[in-house]
Amino acid sequence: MSDLKSSFVLGILLVLTIPSLAFMPCSSVAAISQSQAVSALDDAEGVVVFAYQAVLRAGESGANVSGLLVRLNDAGQLLTRARMAFGSGDFDSALELAVLCQERLSGFVADADALAEAAIRDRNLDFLVNMVGSFFGSVAVVCGGLVAWFYLDRKYGKLGVRSNESS
Amino acid sequence: MNLHEYRVLFVATVGILALLVASPAMSRLLVFPRTEFFTEFWILDSNHRAEDYPFNVIRTANYSVFLGIGNRLGHTAYYLVEVKLRNQTQSAPNSFNRTSSSLPSLFNVAAFVADEGTWDYPLTFSFDYAYNESLSQVELSSLKFNDITVDVTGFRAGWDSRNNGFLCNLFFELWIYDASASGFGYHERSVGLWFNMTTS
Repeated sequence: MSDLKSSFVLGILLVLTIPSLAFMPCSSVAAISQSQAVSALDDAEGVVVFAYQAVLRAGESGANVSGLLVRLNDAGQLLTRARMAFGSGDFDSALELAVLCQERLSGFVADADALAEAAIRDRNLDFLVNMVGSFFGSVAVVCGGLVAWFYLDRKYGKLGVRSNESS
Repeated sequence: MNLHEYRVLFVATVGILALLVASPAMSRLLVFPRTEFFTEFWILDSNHRAEDYPFNVIRTANYSVFLGIGNRLGHTAYYLVEVKLRNQTQSAPNSFNRTSSSLPSLFNVAAFVADEGTWDYPLTFSFDYAYNESLSQVELSSLKFNDITVDVTGFRAGWDSRNNGFLCNLFFELWIYDASASGFGYHERSVGLWFNMTTS
């Protein structure tokens, strides 16, 4: 009787255990996928913010950032879609889109910094030509005018006085 | 000839020449500084006009509008447009208190806009809903934004006897990234459209 009872208990245990064993790998895979998606989304958001800060720096340097903004907007759309996919429970798509977003911004900060450096060089040259150059140019025009005036005064001023005196 | 008779002409000529040479520097120095920094936010119909917005909507039919942002902040800005849906009793953004709606966002759109630049975003959407005759209400199941389907199960719009319709408000809140706070803050701008969910 006790054998029968223990067999029954064993049977019940097997019936309960086998399905849960079958579902365990799936749930752990889903958990891994979700955690990976969360991590990828966090990374992608960090990369986007970092890239935006690089654009801000380039913009402050006077660089034309329109090309950078096209890339940044593309990455922003991918991040938006990744968030949407995550919200709807599609962790694989969220992970894929977040990784795509990061790839889209690969080398972005270096490009932005290069644009900023070029803009700073252009700005310095512009300052040299347009500010310093035109300032000293106008001073030179005034000084040249004074020199010309004194020269003409010495050469023709006396002639004018003489001609007045003779008349 | 007396040279001093031409003194005024000479001084004027030298002065004009000096001004001409100094004009590149002056054009940079004599610039009136910008004093107003703001963001424009608008919604236009499918023809890029503000006159033919959809109102009476049919279940699963597609409707198109354009969202636009004009950045006059003096620097490149990182915006987030939060798309929300409400019925007549739910929380709306308040332009007097300058607060956003407490409702959760259904769909977000990120936008990076250069200073003095604009951003134009085409948005096609459709509503999937059913009419519950016994409760006299429309029950939404999903919303589709540019081929992305959002589950809105549980959203209901009751009969509005004054306007003769089942009204719901699709609205767009503008949020902006604040680098000092390392996060988004409500930018106190929102636009939206009211729709009548037709049941026949």
